[in-house]
Amino acid sequence: MLTIKNLKKTYPKSDRLAVNDISFELKPGEIFGFLGQNGAGKSTTIKCLTGILPFDSGTIEICGYDITTDPIKAKMEMGYVPDNHSVYEKLTGREYVNYVADLYKVSLEDRQARLDHYLDLFRLRFAVDRQIKAYSHGMKQKICIIAALIHEPKLWVLDEPMMGLDPQSTAEIIAYMREHCRKGNTVFFSSHNLDLVKKLCDRVAIINDGQLIDMFDLKNNEENKANLEERFFKITGTYEKRLFEDYASQESEDMRPELPTEEDNNDNKPTDEVEG
Amino acid sequence: MKQSNISWQSVKTLFRLDLRSRKDATTELSHKDKAMNVMNFIFGVVIYAMLVAGIYFFTNMFVKRAGLSLEHFLSVSNLLTIGVSTIIAISTVVKNLYMNGDNELLFRFPVSGTEILIAKSIYCALHNFVVTVLLTLPFHIIAGAIAGASVGYYFGSIAMIIFQSFLPFFIANLVAIPVMKIVNLIKNQFLLVLILIIIAICGCFVIYMNALSSVLGYLADNRVNFFADPTIKAKIIEFANNSYPINLYAFVLVGGTEVVWRHPALCFVYLLLMNGAFGVGAYFTTTRCYYSTILCGIESEKESLVKVHKTNKVRSVFGTLLNREFFLIFRSFNYSFQYLAMACAAPVMVYYCNALASAMGTKSVGTTIVPGLTLLVIIIFVTIIVSFASTSISREGNVFYHTKIIPVSYTTQILTKLFLYGIVGTASVVLCCVTVAAAFVPEAGGALLTPLDVGMIFLICELVVLAETCLSIWADIKSPTFNVSGDGELVAANKNVAVALFVGIFTAILYGVFAMVFSFQGLTLGKMTFDMQPAEVYGILAGVSGAILIASACMLFVNLEKRYQKIVP
Repeated sequence: MLTIKNLKKTYPKSDRLAVNDISFELKPGEIFGFLGQNGAGKSTTIKCLTGILPFDSGTIEICGYDITTDPIKAKMEMGYVPDNHSVYEKLTGREYVNYVADLYKVSLEDRQARLDHYLDLFRLRFAVDRQIKAYSHGMKQKICIIAALIHEPKLWVLDEPMMGLDPQSTAEIIAYMREHCRKGNTVFFSSHNLDLVKKLCDRVAIINDGQLIDMFDLKNNEENKANLEERFFKITGTYEKRLFEDYASQESEDMRPELPTEEDNNDNKPTDEVEG
Repeated sequence: MKQSNISWQSVKTLFRLDLRSRKDATTELSHKDKAMNVMNFIFGVVIYAMLVAGIYFFTNMFVKRAGLSLEHFLSVSNLLTIGVSTIIAISTVVKNLYMNGDNELLFRFPVSGTEILIAKSIYCALHNFVVTVLLTLPFHIIAGAIAGASVGYYFGSIAMIIFQSFLPFFIANLVAIPVMKIVNLIKNQFLLVLILIIIAICGCFVIYMNALSSVLGYLADNRVNFFADPTIKAKIIEFANNSYPINLYAFVLVGGTEVVWRHPALCFVYLLLMNGAFGVGAYFTTTRCYYSTILCGIESEKESLVKVHKTNKVRSVFGTLLNREFFLIFRSFNYSFQYLAMACAAPVMVYYCNALASAMGTKSVGTTIVPGLTLLVIIIFVTIIVSFASTSISREGNVFYHTKIIPVSYTTQILTKLFLYGIVGTASVVLCCVTVAAAFVPEAGGALLTPLDVGMIFLICELVVLAETCLSIWADIKSPTFNVSGDGELVAANKNVAVALFVGIFTAILYGVFAMVFSFQGLTLGKMTFDMQPAEVYGILAGVSGAILIASACMLFVNLEKRYQKIVP
């Protein structure tokens, strides 16, 4: 569904590699979580794979189409929800969704049925004929999600999608992510919410300082689920026993990992399944 | 709003905060910034000097030529300056008291609404005072000098101008609230706003051009003294005598005592009472309505267009991109004004400019320069419209990422923009050419242009419009600036706009001068004389324009995909 090979990206006027030789592959029907601290390279990777940013080397294929050599076909298979909810605010919600649907050549019947479904799902019917500038933060996020889904993309990419959403909408999106994957599609999303990732994702990758440090299964793997926070904190170099204990104590009892020992505290190295 | 417990310390702090927010954030300016500040200051002084020169001619025309008394002249000039000051004061009060985005912020501070109102009102009052002084003082001094007034007149003028500055401020405070209500009422009536803007632009331009025409006529022919005509003079005196209550200011300063009620002391009492009435009215209106009006403004900020037709519609990719591009311009007050309104008003502007330039040029040189002048005028106005294309990428602002993720080639996206700007530019050129054809081709219009002239002017202008549009979009792809405000609109025109305007105006002058020189007497260089027929002149210009168009289209579209992909928001 998505294949990234040896992706490298440097920003102009910067010597630092924002993304350094990242490789991974997403399978059909999985929910993939992309984790990392602020500035680790998550959004850069997502912007490269969506075509927003050019990259220095490597390849990105979406459903077999190369984003560089065959961008139109590659983009046709993808739906993207940005982290900043930027949309054309002077259009109404319906105009915006229709605009996107036109670009993805969605038939009238399909767009009507899908729009009706999503408007009810995200409880946005009351505002769909108002200009988006009047929407709240969460409503803008919802209209972005609806627009990204209007063409039923095979690959659904979301950059920190739950920010600013009410619990009801968060639950609806989680449910819809699962439903989307059951149809054989793939969801790729970045998040800072480890608890959400643990509950939702089939697989997860942790990126730090532009490099992919760790990638492992969460589906049917209770040990990896239990160790997710510890791995994340250690990989990102932010492990501190006191903070970790505070964080872990907020977790539910059944999900709580075994607290690390003093020895662990000194050992910051990632353990297994390192790729890229 | 409670009147008690006003902290003057808070008022002082708020006022200083207001002043500081209008200056640059940094106190340490680079040499470049300092140089720019000096340049801006010099530019401002030059503009003001030009205004004073204009006032001198205006005053000379009335006082010396027409022989108006100081009393009558000041009545007319005060009407003008108080009118302009009032319009500026209304704008200042509406912007600062009611529309300023810091209202919501200030309400979070431990200060009362009254304190905010007082602090902002002090700024508005000072602004109004400076504007009134700058506008009125030159009239008084120049008129006094021409009429040979006594020293007392000048001291009296200063006192009277200070007194005069209150009226615009009081009227502005009375009018600002109804203005705000109207603005809130029509802010989502995009077509109505566009029509009103077009009417306002055309109206202001027609008034300006008529005034300019009179002044230039006066300057061009001193022997024909329009204002020396006894009938005209009598009408001006009658108008000055009836321009109540503004003429009372002049009566206070230089009023005669032949009519009892025109006695300066009595007139001063009238003015005092009038200002008192306006002041009390403004005080009660503002203090009672200020808080509720800005609360209403904050609450209705999010009010937006609600579409009645709730249907989904399928469009082609090109059609949907075109539709989006148009509505993003149409539904923005700033963009509508900069682009659509100017495009619609251009024929009116072209007509008046061309009529004036042709009249002046025909008198001094001959009718043969009219086609060249027409070409120059049309290209200048169309350049102003086309320069909007030089923000075509920058205007995407925060949504620029969207142009990268959609499954549409960058070439198609740019073609859509080019098509829209091309259509609007072409429509404007057609309207301009139809207007000049209707005005200057018939015998009644002096037969200053032939159908061949108009046809070739259209062809050349059209080629220039398309070439300038291509170049403007190319420039913005090369260096866009995504500096947008909260509502997603560009904070200020970027440097590409200035470059597009410069190139366009330079082209207009080059083309205009070329056409005028060769149609008038040809060009002699040493022993060689280039004497051409109009068709040859047009042929050369059309050929050059065509070549520029091809070159600019190549610049825009060759390697467009790669260049666009490199744009990083």
